[in-house]
Amino acid sequence: MNLFIDTHLNDVVIILHENGKITNMKKIENKKENSKYIMPLIKEVLDSKIPESIIVVNGPGSFTGVRLGVTIAKTLAFTLQIPIRTITSLECLKVCSLENEVAFSDKNGYYIGVFDEKNNLSNYSYLSNSEYLEYVKTHNVETDVTIDYLKVIEYAMQKETKNPHETNPIYIKKIDVEK
Amino acid sequence: MKDVNILSIETSCDETSIAIVKNGCEVVALTILTQMDTHANFGGVVPEIASRMHTENITMVLEETLRKANMKVEDCDAIAVTYTPGLLGSLLVGIEFAKVLSYVYKKPLIKVNHLVGHIYANKIDNKLKFPCLALVISGGHTELIKMTGDYEFELLGETQDDAIGEAFDKVARVIGLPYPGGPNIEKLAKEGKRSYNLPHPVNDETYNFSYSGLKSSVINLVNNEKQRGHEINKADLACSFQTTAVEELTRKLELALKNTGIKNVIIAGGVSANKYLRGEIAKLCEKYDATLNLPEFIYCTDNAAMIGAAAYPLYLKGEFADLDLNAESTSSIC
Repeated sequence: MNLFIDTHLNDVVIILHENGKITNMKKIENKKENSKYIMPLIKEVLDSKIPESIIVVNGPGSFTGVRLGVTIAKTLAFTLQIPIRTITSLECLKVCSLENEVAFSDKNGYYIGVFDEKNNLSNYSYLSNSEYLEYVKTHNVETDVTIDYLKVIEYAMQKETKNPHETNPIYIKKIDVEK
Repeated sequence: MKDVNILSIETSCDETSIAIVKNGCEVVALTILTQMDTHANFGGVVPEIASRMHTENITMVLEETLRKANMKVEDCDAIAVTYTPGLLGSLLVGIEFAKVLSYVYKKPLIKVNHLVGHIYANKIDNKLKFPCLALVISGGHTELIKMTGDYEFELLGETQDDAIGEAFDKVARVIGLPYPGGPNIEKLAKEGKRSYNLPHPVNDETYNFSYSGLKSSVINLVNNEKQRGHEINKADLACSFQTTAVEELTRKLELALKNTGIKNVIIAGGVSANKYLRGEIAKLCEKYDATLNLPEFIYCTDNAAMIGAAAYPLYLKGEFADLDLNAESTSSIC
């Protein structure tokens, strides 16, 4: 039984995956103060069961959103002493897309992932809205991806497990002091 | 009565700290991981970087604390966490971490106000006695509070503008001292004398404080001297500023000692680490035959032990938080 946590945008998605199936899934859409909802939702989905492993979407996306999900996931893995795996938000899109380039927008720009045929990452970047408009003139980028969570989870389960201490968000977008 | 061990977490600013505190007064283990060197590169705390480092380090800080205590989370009776005031993103990391511990180990969750924590730092080794006058002085607060018992606060006065720590940091920047400004002013002031005449802010009979006027006069003085092509004696200016800033505190505290007749005084908050300030307040307390309680230096700056001390009365009262606990960036004690 695996617990999947995705908080990389304002939506919170918590899934219980057992025997190759999604057995429980809860989603809260577009809430500003994620902190109030994530742990109560995990408690509800787990329903006193103890997961055998954790999968967390470790970004990029909302800095705070990703951070809360990863903090919860790594702490669960550390305390329960269970394996943890990460999948990026762009891998989630790629797994469900036929294009090699996928993207999603926050309000100021786009996170773009460029993959090869085997879904191996070649490059992640963040472009402003105007840079993105230039970029798509020469690239086929899919933004309108419908996420198939079962596919995403089964892909993630093939990945290597991580040490919880070393499980951290990826941010991609630069903050002011880094510019 | 059975011993109560509280595992406490503090991430309100740039220290990731976890402690185990027994019966609200005995520190079993304390780990403080400071990010100060990182933020020094930017001349001050960068909130986003502070939050990132909390997430990176928090499980390791827990492991280290448990190892020092030779205990497991199971051995603790409750999980306490700072929920206000502080940097939102930083507070949230500690809060979510605490919720997971509370959930996994089925331990009650206790939310603690960081400022109350600074006051309760004085409970460590059983020093805090009631009634008392508490001077809460930090980068965000300058408050004079009367306490008649556990969690019984009455606000006597507070700053009308800048906090004292904020004034220290801004003055440090103006005279070109590196971050953290407060300790560097204290260091430099030792080499100087009070040669600059700076104004005294709130010359009234209330318990209120003001630091923006004092800060502005230092900024104006520096700018004027620059325009005239004069060198500033930095050590003298640091000394003049520090002396005036501390006089403002002692004058209002003296007023409260006279009017209330209270014989216990505590100082709490980051600025209470200033040795000159400690000395001046000690002199004042001696004059009024009052006992001055000072936390050890390690419990003056941000640390989780004080959060465990402040959580203990709440544990006894059964005041517990739920998994929907959220952070609040600002708050007051009273």
